[in-house]
Amino acid sequence: MSAWSWLKLRVCLWLLRKTATVTRWLLLAAVVLVAWPVTLIAVIEYAAAWLRGWPAIRLFRTAAWALPVTAVWLIIVEVRVPGWRSAALIPGRAWGHGFHHLGGAGLAHTLALLVPVAIPAGLALAGLAWAWRTYAVTAGVGGWTASAPIIFDTRQWKRQVRTAKGLNKAPGAVPLLARGGRIPVGGTIRHIGHDWRPVFSLPAAVSGRHVVVVGATGSGKTNLMIRQWAGWFTAALQAARAGRGNRPLLIVLDCKGGRDARSKADRTRRLLYGAGARRVAIWPDEARLCLWDLPAHDLAVLLYQMIDTGTGAAAYYADILQAVLDLAVLAPCGAPVNTAAFLDRLEAKWLQRAWGDGRHPAELARARAAGRHLPDIQLRYATLLGRLGPALDGPGSLAEADAWYCILEGTSEPSVAEAQAMALTELAARAATAPDAEPRVMLLAADDYSAVARRVPVSNLYERGRSLGIGVQVSAQTWQGLGRDDDERYRIAATADGGVFVLRTPYPEPLTLLAGHRRVLDTAHKLVGNIWADEGTTRIQRAPVADPDLIRHLEVGQACYIQGGAATFVQVARPKASPLTLLPAPAGGPVVQVPEARREPDPMPPTWPQGPASLDDAFGPGGTR
Amino acid sequence: MNPDPFAALGLPARPDLSDEQVRAAWRSIAAATHPDRPDGGDLARYTAASAAYAQLRTSWARSEAYADLIEQAEPDTSPLPPVPADVWPTPVPPWQPLITAAQVPARIRRGRPLRLLIRGAVAAALSLVVLHLIPGTAAAPADVFGLTWWFVLTGRKDLAPPPER
Repeated sequence: MSAWSWLKLRVCLWLLRKTATVTRWLLLAAVVLVAWPVTLIAVIEYAAAWLRGWPAIRLFRTAAWALPVTAVWLIIVEVRVPGWRSAALIPGRAWGHGFHHLGGAGLAHTLALLVPVAIPAGLALAGLAWAWRTYAVTAGVGGWTASAPIIFDTRQWKRQVRTAKGLNKAPGAVPLLARGGRIPVGGTIRHIGHDWRPVFSLPAAVSGRHVVVVGATGSGKTNLMIRQWAGWFTAALQAARAGRGNRPLLIVLDCKGGRDARSKADRTRRLLYGAGARRVAIWPDEARLCLWDLPAHDLAVLLYQMIDTGTGAAAYYADILQAVLDLAVLAPCGAPVNTAAFLDRLEAKWLQRAWGDGRHPAELARARAAGRHLPDIQLRYATLLGRLGPALDGPGSLAEADAWYCILEGTSEPSVAEAQAMALTELAARAATAPDAEPRVMLLAADDYSAVARRVPVSNLYERGRSLGIGVQVSAQTWQGLGRDDDERYRIAATADGGVFVLRTPYPEPLTLLAGHRRVLDTAHKLVGNIWADEGTTRIQRAPVADPDLIRHLEVGQACYIQGGAATFVQVARPKASPLTLLPAPAGGPVVQVPEARREPDPMPPTWPQGPASLDDAFGPGGTR
Repeated sequence: MNPDPFAALGLPARPDLSDEQVRAAWRSIAAATHPDRPDGGDLARYTAASAAYAQLRTSWARSEAYADLIEQAEPDTSPLPPVPADVWPTPVPPWQPLITAAQVPARIRRGRPLRLLIRGAVAAALSLVVLHLIPGTAAAPADVFGLTWWFVLTGRKDLAPPPER
């Protein structure tokens, strides 16, 4: 083949290709023009999706919601002119008639006639076009420049955020509880793997399981958690009213304390009152609990754990401490009723008198042997219980309120807060298991639990909650704050079957690993000069479902919810109770319970009751003599 | 926690204040009340202003503080004494749907009535246009139904949530 022939062949081939392309575009333009009502709707909706960052699924769903209009139209046509053939011909006639009246009024007339069909069709077409555009740009086969996927993603993210924020401002869009017992969290920004809904919500049952929230200070963690608490409480309350469950009991441990905690407590209380709670107690400021109501064995174990005992040689003293506590708490006359009574028992005289009934020689011997250690032990407990203050000295129990907001000064008094946390979790466990108590559905939420996690690891809290049927929510500021080592952290995160909320945090990688990876298309283009050539390759790559860099750059109030290998980015809405209420306005009343004087039982061993003076006292008059 | 940090800085309680406005307000108060001043300053006011500045430093914190103020302005809900267990919970009455319907006006009032009005006006105007353009056709009632359908579906979020939510 000569060079001239080769050149002619190339030109012909080029011309053929271009002709095919032009013909394709012309045909498309013709179809677009001919079906102009559908095109008009599709263009408007496509532009709306682009400007507002909607996913294609939203357009498809809107098309589905428009189908009732088509159904109504079909019914009317069928009633007027029976036979489906006429229904099929009407749009064609209206469309053909429109081409004879191309003025503004004529076009409007045609559009109005075709709306019942054009709207669902246009929406579906816009959905298809938008889905293709999104796919093409993200896969790298669309766009004019190599940076198109990045620019597209960044721009769409901003628009998605703007749309989610706008949705959050609508008063009825993000209530505390949605239909079907779901707890709305806020406007959905982006979803990967989860079903898309404009407002991201979780089933109330999920919030009642184990949930982890990780976010730096000021990332909007408090709003998210308060929303979860109020939503869960509202859902549980409604279920109880409908006879489908027990009354809710919410226990919040604010482990950081400080002035912020009081403000958060007030907000939570206002919200819970709006949701229908009749008593929300703030501990220790306005209400008390009684540590001494615990069963004697549990109380002895708790008191032992509340003291730092150490290891190695210190273990010897730990054993003595435990033995003394058992003697003091499990005395035959019953458990102590308050701090003063307990401290009184840590004296040799009291112990020997209590166990000196002749029926407990071994315990009496132990009490004598421990005599020289008792002043030290008493001093340690006097110091600890003195620092704990009167808030755990009763009277009061968790059952007395619908919700408890417990403030622990974990920042300023970590050792005290740790002891308080232990006592409160023990009381919660007691409330869940007490056979004589009213059964309650419980959620234990620990905000910034890392402040007190040294003595009671979060994993213990989780396992305890799981065994007792209590939902546990735990928040920490960082991945490192979740536990002492990676083993514990992974155990906590991996057992969070209610999901993990990650807000802005500097090290989200371990948490995002829980969402796993997804397959994405990675397209490489050959460049000719500065523009893309026709050739290139596409490969399947793996990318994280929850992008750690995106999480690192989240704004305040944005969160990524990870669960079941999927992730949803959400703009958390500030929780607000309905401004309407059917309940009477709560009246003022004292919450701080005035402690009643409780009498310590006599340490003397119980004696056999003396016989009644007369058998009449036992059998009544006329009984057997 | 300062109940009104805006007042402590002498600023109007608005969520759209800029960082510069807040900083300028704090600097002017700090300059006038700092304890190192020759006249001894005003320690209480300086402390209050500093705490308020820490509270209002970022735009997010300002919107939160503003929302807190709005919430506090609503009717006070001071704690209640315990309610006897047999009084609560009250079961859902069978006439609940009627109550729900009766709440709609209040929900409109406490929601976004203006937006709802605009939506309603748009739907009504378009319905009139359709009835004028294609009277007597099968599409006319279907179009009016469609506009009503759109109004109902999109207007729900402009209503305040019902009391139980």
